[in-house]
Amino acid sequence: MSKADQCPSTVHEGPKHKPSKQELSRERRSLLSSVSGKVAWRSSDEIADTPQFRDFLEREFPAGITELFTGSRRTFMKVMGASVALAGAATLPGCRRPDHKILPYSATPPEDIIPGKPLFYATTLPLPRGGVEGVLVETHEGRPTKIEGNPLHPINRGKSSVLAQASVLSLYDPDRLKAPVYFNRKRNNGAGERVLATWDDFVTWGKDYFPKFDKSQGAGLAIIVDKKSSPTRDAIKASLLKKWPKATWVAYDSTESVHAAAGSKAAFGAPMHDLIDFSKAKVVLSLDRNFLDANAEPRGLVHARDFASTRRVEDPTTADMSRLYVIESGLSLTGGQADHRLRAAPSKVVALACELAKFMLPKLGAGADAVVAALPSATISDSERKFIEECAKDLMDGAKKGATIVVAGEHLPAGVHAAVHAINQALATTLVKFATMSDELASDSRAAMATLTADLKAGKYDTVICVGTNPAYDAPDAKAFADAFAKLEGSIALSVGQSETTAAATWALNGTHYLESWGDALAVDGTISPIQPMIAPLYAAIDAAGNPTGQAPMSDIELLAFIAGDRRADGTARDGFELVRATWKSKLNAKSDADFEKPWKRALHDGLVAGTTGTGATPKVNLAGVAAAAKDIKLDAAPAGQLEAVVRAGWMHDGRFANITWLQELPQFGTSVTWDNPALLSPKTAADLGLLPASATLEEPNTMYTKEKYPAGRVAEFEFAGRKVTCACWILPGVADGVVILTPGYGRTNGGLACDGVGFDIGSLRGDASSVLSGVKVTATADYHAIASTQNHWSLEGRTAIVRAVDLQTYTKFAGEAMKDNDEIYAGIAAGSLNFAEKLGELSHTPPNVSSYDNPYNRSAADLNPNDPNYNKIPARGHKLNSKTAQPPNFAIGPQWGMTIDLSTCTGCGACTIACQAENNIPVVGKKEVAKGRELHWIRVDRYFAGDYYNYKDSASINYNEPEYIFHQPVACVHCENAPCEVVCPVNATVHGNEGHNYMVYNRCIGTRYCANNCPYKVRRYNFFEYGLHKFNGDYVGKDLIESIAPDRGGISGSGTHNKINPNLIPPRLREKLDEIERMQKNPDVTVRMRGVMEKCSYCIQRTNAAKIETRLQDLKSPLGTSWVPDGFVQSACQQACPSDAIIFGDILDTTHEYKDADGTRKGSRVHAARLSRRSYLLLGYLNTRPRTSHLLKVSNPNPALVTNEHRRAAWDHPFHDGGSHGGGDGHGNGGNKEHAFFDERRKREDKGYALSLGVLSSKAASAIGGGLA
Amino acid sequence: MSVLFPKSFNAFPTIAAVAAVGGLTTAVAGFWYYATPKFWSVGYMPTQPSTGFSHQIHAGKLGMDCRYCHTKVEQSPEANIPNVSTCYGCHAETRLAAWQTQRVGFVREAQAKNESIEWRRVHKVPDYVRNFPHHVHVAAGVSCFSCHGQITAMPIVYQAQSLSMSWCLDCHRNPEQHLVPKDKVTQLVWVEQHLKSRAANDPTASAEALKVSLERQPPQGCGACHY
Repeated sequence: MSKADQCPSTVHEGPKHKPSKQELSRERRSLLSSVSGKVAWRSSDEIADTPQFRDFLEREFPAGITELFTGSRRTFMKVMGASVALAGAATLPGCRRPDHKILPYSATPPEDIIPGKPLFYATTLPLPRGGVEGVLVETHEGRPTKIEGNPLHPINRGKSSVLAQASVLSLYDPDRLKAPVYFNRKRNNGAGERVLATWDDFVTWGKDYFPKFDKSQGAGLAIIVDKKSSPTRDAIKASLLKKWPKATWVAYDSTESVHAAAGSKAAFGAPMHDLIDFSKAKVVLSLDRNFLDANAEPRGLVHARDFASTRRVEDPTTADMSRLYVIESGLSLTGGQADHRLRAAPSKVVALACELAKFMLPKLGAGADAVVAALPSATISDSERKFIEECAKDLMDGAKKGATIVVAGEHLPAGVHAAVHAINQALATTLVKFATMSDELASDSRAAMATLTADLKAGKYDTVICVGTNPAYDAPDAKAFADAFAKLEGSIALSVGQSETTAAATWALNGTHYLESWGDALAVDGTISPIQPMIAPLYAAIDAAGNPTGQAPMSDIELLAFIAGDRRADGTARDGFELVRATWKSKLNAKSDADFEKPWKRALHDGLVAGTTGTGATPKVNLAGVAAAAKDIKLDAAPAGQLEAVVRAGWMHDGRFANITWLQELPQFGTSVTWDNPALLSPKTAADLGLLPASATLEEPNTMYTKEKYPAGRVAEFEFAGRKVTCACWILPGVADGVVILTPGYGRTNGGLACDGVGFDIGSLRGDASSVLSGVKVTATADYHAIASTQNHWSLEGRTAIVRAVDLQTYTKFAGEAMKDNDEIYAGIAAGSLNFAEKLGELSHTPPNVSSYDNPYNRSAADLNPNDPNYNKIPARGHKLNSKTAQPPNFAIGPQWGMTIDLSTCTGCGACTIACQAENNIPVVGKKEVAKGRELHWIRVDRYFAGDYYNYKDSASINYNEPEYIFHQPVACVHCENAPCEVVCPVNATVHGNEGHNYMVYNRCIGTRYCANNCPYKVRRYNFFEYGLHKFNGDYVGKDLIESIAPDRGGISGSGTHNKINPNLIPPRLREKLDEIERMQKNPDVTVRMRGVMEKCSYCIQRTNAAKIETRLQDLKSPLGTSWVPDGFVQSACQQACPSDAIIFGDILDTTHEYKDADGTRKGSRVHAARLSRRSYLLLGYLNTRPRTSHLLKVSNPNPALVTNEHRRAAWDHPFHDGGSHGGGDGHGNGGNKEHAFFDERRKREDKGYALSLGVLSSKAASAIGGGLA
Repeated sequence: MSVLFPKSFNAFPTIAAVAAVGGLTTAVAGFWYYATPKFWSVGYMPTQPSTGFSHQIHAGKLGMDCRYCHTKVEQSPEANIPNVSTCYGCHAETRLAAWQTQRVGFVREAQAKNESIEWRRVHKVPDYVRNFPHHVHVAAGVSCFSCHGQITAMPIVYQAQSLSMSWCLDCHRNPEQHLVPKDKVTQLVWVEQHLKSRAANDPTASAEALKVSLERQPPQGCGACHY
């Protein structure tokens, strides 16, 4: 045996704990991957490795996935007979060429529009609780299709969040309110009847109705708006309250916690936003604050971007990296990025914060004795004390002075926030400054809403106007509010989508979407930005000729101004354009109208008013105030046997985004659950409370995989302060013990077809309490709820050594090392040697890739240029190129596209997935289809938990409950130069392009799915139905039948009481075709795929093609005289959205051109530089697939003082020794596997989706022929 | 048996075999020839509104440049159909003689009502082909003539070429046969004569010279059009 073929781990001597190789079970070794000495697992099932799970993995798609009919042959024949008859009837007129019309613009063509080319306009997306995103909207002939971040906006800098990406879909939501609805109480013998009305009717009614408040000075009037910052709305509010001082104005957001505002008020005397600059951070301690998540914080995008810039290490000699400590109750994006993560229940987080303050403040000599004395004393364990003391020492490290910071989550008590401000001041941190927060944002609106509800019940109000709010669903006492609201004569609700509140209102008004209206917004840093309409209101009243007529639908400011009596001279309502301009005239300091136009147009063009971005101030902390606040800190831990619940808003926020189907189907962070909001529990808590599925225990892994393999969660009843809700449970390692994480915004009853009945409404549990509920009682029920999680989909068949990570200690020592490659074919990227990251992996153990055949495809971007006269003379990689064989794609002339994904900075936020969905017309498939493994997302974000490899003596030693690491890895098609999919396609539907694209030709594809079978990365997606053309949620054939049948069959969405019919569970073939309105979102540059074709990441080929054409038209010549696509001229959709800039895309051959950017001048494209990085490695590189997408390994920066695991420390000195997918490991024995089961054996009985759909057809046929069917 | 099958039946297998082969050949040949865009699409001439728009008069007799109406052909993938206001610019009531009312009345009517005119589409690539990028073809020196034929001689526009994939690829493989100097792209009469005489007299020289200006070989991969 030659040494080259031998695995290095058998050559070198290992540490004492290392077992012999024979002890390692073959199966396990192949299934589990290792991440530089750590076992990484995607799910507990993977570790347990039951035969059922193997079966699940080994199928390319889950069982039953291809099943169309479950009925008898006779049924099949009947249905097919009908189809053939229909098809015949349908084809006959098809002989004629259809008459296509071309409608040019008429007498008044719009300015600027070039048919066929998109235009981009700047506008602003207002988000709940003062969030603002500056966006660019791509419009095709006036039709908004895609949202991008505005490069000029200080929040976005060209990046965008999940919510921004998804916001365009809500514009085309078919369930939007389309006209005002008036509840005429006199009709129907006094029972009342809802009648369609027009905005003109409302204006007429309002002109008569509102003047009565002039006399009463507004008494009896309540206005409930959502919390947002808008200068124009503030101006209207001021004038309204001046005119009607007795009116009640509540800015309401049900998901808020106002403790942060209260804490800053205690510390600084006024509520403040913090403006943190993480780009210079060295040490960060987060006390349950999810600061990297744009969904959780107004400046989340800024934090993600800045923090990422401290995590990219390259040169090992000067490696300088921030360190993040996180103490948290749930599992958040921020926790996933932590170098040290401590799980703690909220009460324990408070206790740790107090102990931290007591430890640090005296040492820093902050003169804060009063604060220290006021802090409650808490008992914490030794390991917890060690954690905070080491953390404190790190924060106080003299060498890092000024660059360390502590941040606290908003649900922690005000006293903790105040104490954290005191600590930060004592640390003399330069990272944080403060900007004033408006009273409206700082107000405790849940309390205000509770008061309002009580007053409403008491009859204090005769008019309640809900503007963009939905208190009938999310008020502290929603039912009481809804009942009282429904009885009011003057109940008015303005909403974009339908809601529980509009269903109860006298006037349900269809508001305008932010893409349809004028407005303005104020970011937390003071940036003022305009909201301008991209399209006229879609649902305006129209006259006989189809032109808009009468009063247009109103936005929030238009309605408020109308109510406040701010009208035109002729009494008609003023539109948003006038209102915003009126406010801005004072803001822009314009003396005359002429002066105003220029800055106004500039602001509309840029999407912000230049110079309004504030840098914040550094007010001094009032220690007496902090001490006073610290006295109020309570450590109310839950009694034994009860839980602490944290109500944490997800993408649905308070439910307002629930009808956006992209968000519903986006796999959630950590759990990868779609279409649901299960309560999240740690494995230990679930086992303690008996919430594991029946017959599953931690010791005995499940044998419950059923034919269709949907997991299900146990339904439990949660009780707090006498209020009860039911919710399914989902077990998530990494959640603190004794904690349950609840997500509001689901279980809507009147939010639209996509969200009604999806998930569980847990809002009523909270009441008027804070978002932390201490002492929640849990009772398991016998019910199960099917949950569609994508976590175990697209498994790599055991070749899971694809995520790599090392500690900084290893990196600084070894990153300079390279290894001579023993495979000359592979060594394309790093010029003949394996770099550090490649050396860590299997490739260093792989024998040379030598083919006996002349394989012209073994040429790569690194090969000779064909223009070289020696091209055909020099043997390519050891082979003589036979000129008679087919010429392979020539990868030596540019542009050659490639991508890198940096695992160090990826937070797993999901923005890439949804940006890709928006760009590439990827349809939503619905919960049942996701559960079958049919989701179509082209880029998936894999989640891995990892623990210590050496301690892997038996499966019990892996602590599921406390994963040591959490990794995220976005995986899309990697565009192999030597693609396995291409060689198995019988019809050449997937072939290689000259620029490195792995083409997918939809019109050639006949759906054999061989390619998906042969793809080692499992990135190909198949259209089992016409998802792209059919509604996933709309009306469907046989709706009435299903509704009449379903109850008898136990429902189709689950079992027991949760059998409410949800249309998104209907199989797609029974659905109706898309409405015209839904088709409007589709990107005209990308094909909408039909049934039966494969699809996958295309490297945004529509964008690369357009970029090439554009360089040609603009005659962009390289300084070197060649044609060229400059770096940054084209961005893939995922790259453009990625908040932490983890994805880089470009021309990998561009090595010579000079570019100037923020970091100075650089040579060559960014992707070229990234591919040369020591951290760059190719997924499954040893297969010789030569992917064009490379990943950069993750580097963590642990504090040596906190790393107690001797094996992890040993790896700092011997990284390679145990690397690779083989090597160290211990015997496994036959001990019981520690396992928490996510799967439900009963699902087989309960899951009647397909049988039911057949039943529908049968019943229909049965009623037609008047008899039963077999 | 002999009653059932008289002797004359002995020839049957031969006849049947010949007929089968002949029939199959005819069927294949028929399908080959008829079931093609070349057979079905070339010559497609839908009925246009009113009396239609005569390219023969406008582009031929009056010598108007293509880009007078198809204004964005150099900037956009789509060669846009002119706005009604473009037509009305010449055909306003005040500008051209009254006898034209019959023929251009629909333009004036559309202008007055601020409506579009429903022209019928003649040239269409299938849905699975992303829009044909006019701008880059024009920039490369491919004349309108190469795809649309001698438009200046068409009273009503019809489809002159098959627009099939093999037809696209013929040109993408050997682009020089269709390249003309960029300033002549819209001069269809010149182009037709030039391409004819070039084919006869100068099969390579000037065409090769033009090809040099292409910078890139036209793409032949699937992803150029199908994505």
